[in-house]
Amino acid sequence: MSALPPVHYRLEYPYTRTTGPIVGAFLTALRDGKLLGIRCRGRVLCPPLEYDPETSETLAPDFVEVGPTGTILSWTWIAEPSRKHPFAEPFAFALIRPDGADGAICHALKASGPDALRTGGRVRAQYREERRGAITDLYFAPEAEAEDRYVPPGKGAVEMTEHLISLDYTEPLSPHRERYAKGLLDGKFIGQKSPASGKVYLPSKGYDPIERVRMSERDDVVVSDRGTVVAYTVITPVQYYGQKETEPYIRASILLDGADQPLGQQDIRSIGVADFRSGMRVRAVWKPKAERSIADVDNRWGGTGEVIERWEPTGEPDLPFEKIMEHNW
Amino acid sequence: MTTRERLSRSDEDIAIVAVAQTPSHRHYDDSEASMLMDLTNQLLAESGLERSAVDFTIAGSCDYLSGMPFAFVSNVDGFGAWPPVYESHLEMDGAWALFEAWVRLSVGDIDIALVAGSGKSSPGNPREIFPLQTDPYTAAPLGLDPASVAGLQARALLDAGLATERDFAEVVSRSRRDALSNPNAQVKKDVSADALLAEPYYASPLRKHDLPPISDGAAAVLIARGKRARELAKKPVWIRAIDHRIDSHHLGLRDLTDSPSARLAAKGVGLHDGPIDVAELCVRYSPEEIVLRRALELAPGTAVNPSGGPLCGHPVMATGLVRVIEVARRIREGRARRGVAHAASGPALQQNLLCVLEGDA
Repeated sequence: MSALPPVHYRLEYPYTRTTGPIVGAFLTALRDGKLLGIRCRGRVLCPPLEYDPETSETLAPDFVEVGPTGTILSWTWIAEPSRKHPFAEPFAFALIRPDGADGAICHALKASGPDALRTGGRVRAQYREERRGAITDLYFAPEAEAEDRYVPPGKGAVEMTEHLISLDYTEPLSPHRERYAKGLLDGKFIGQKSPASGKVYLPSKGYDPIERVRMSERDDVVVSDRGTVVAYTVITPVQYYGQKETEPYIRASILLDGADQPLGQQDIRSIGVADFRSGMRVRAVWKPKAERSIADVDNRWGGTGEVIERWEPTGEPDLPFEKIMEHNW
Repeated sequence: MTTRERLSRSDEDIAIVAVAQTPSHRHYDDSEASMLMDLTNQLLAESGLERSAVDFTIAGSCDYLSGMPFAFVSNVDGFGAWPPVYESHLEMDGAWALFEAWVRLSVGDIDIALVAGSGKSSPGNPREIFPLQTDPYTAAPLGLDPASVAGLQARALLDAGLATERDFAEVVSRSRRDALSNPNAQVKKDVSADALLAEPYYASPLRKHDLPPISDGAAAVLIARGKRARELAKKPVWIRAIDHRIDSHHLGLRDLTDSPSARLAAKGVGLHDGPIDVAELCVRYSPEEIVLRRALELAPGTAVNPSGGPLCGHPVMATGLVRVIEVARRIREGRARRGVAHAASGPALQQNLLCVLEGDA
């Protein structure tokens, strides 16, 4: 079988933050097309801070409007913007001192090209058509290229911000994880037997974490698809961001015969909560070969992909607790 | 006398007794834990210690790089999960893990610590990950990445007359040439500054070669206290002082041509109490070398980044600890007697850590 394609996955954290009285006032003003600074011992800081950067003392909400024009203190032309940058086409990041402020704000500068920019050059604050009380409502442009637009004020104060952190990762499966994944497509659980301790790890991380021994293809072993429930939990789903479940469901750890490490996070749908218990003997019912997918097998969580139709009771007597207690927690 | 001075001048000095590092890989096809396991085994073999003799383990890594919440927990596998010991973790470079381990051993109740840093930047996109280090209201939503901030720092140096674009290219040219003799370096080449200056801008006035490569890798050291250090190593490398200082996270409040926090750290470690034979600096962007040379007031005789430095291999979260290892190795080999390792975190050298190392007189 040829090599499996790289694994892609996305990590997301939707952050919602309160703004507080200082940042909140700054973001509210941005939404309304104004740039605010805060007074700090004779200086004006923009963006406003909640504290004196020298003494750490709390600053009173003594705001002063600055800009909309300002001066470039430093700049860099971004030839290949990232997906997270405010502009898809080349632009500049710049340190800009708004008129009336001391110190600078670091922000994006939209210009016809790097030739339009120079340190000491004059710029003007610009506001996006759609504003939501965020730093991205604003950008700057060289004064010669800036537009003068009326910015209608919005309603209420900006008390919260939302920032979705969304990161993408792509990598090939590690060699041992790839052999495990191919085994799943083949209807087999491939683990690794430690040459140091004889313990069988499934899925293996490619090493024995107790004896600190790396393992290779020579250590691969096929483990049974029958085993014993050694632990489980019934989860009542909370509707957080990304939650796909709506009804209570079981996640079980199953110690397959011949393995020393339970297969975790197994989805149990076909056995009722009232009947399910630790010690129960179960077996995997594999999906038809053409329907098996290993889309969710990665280097991190392991996973068993979409290869198992369901786990069903074998009808054998339960294993007594003493036999599984090492794995029951 | 400060706490720092009192700790470093006691009879219970702490030394590095063994070092290990992986090469800097463009992509490593197994886990961080597997790299750490190889390094742990190397350190134990070199020092002749059993794993059970290690009292304290500490690792630096970054879950955002690994792409998994609690990724750092599986890294403990690399140290060997059994028997359990005092264990700690930082979401910082391994150099900060060394700082914590050094303080921990200074308490005096335990003697031996294993310190590591590891990271794999290859699966993710560092340029999208590192803006998350910046202010969440005013900078992170702009995707303000370290290379762009390095561009701002570079321009500030040019405008102030403290550097030229050729100076940046010379840093890269020298580093890549020095890396030719470093088996762990990822990018190495004999390339002239003229050839580099012919390349297009990326974050002007910086070009792509002014940025570090994307790397996977790990580094680890074993440290021991007092008598134990002498028993475990023929040539212990003594940790004389460590200091860590931070500049404002608001770029607009900083003078990017200088590094007040690096200056403070230099004072804190007594950098100029003696000659410095070698300095391994965490130069991730070429202008940072210009800033650090000035801030640390390095004498012309000091060898700077003879390994090639982070511009030739940047396994994030291990890069700083690799600087410590490079200095320690030179001291152990008798090529230097006193040296300084520098680690940095945050955009434009926002955070600076200095560690002064010495061999026996």
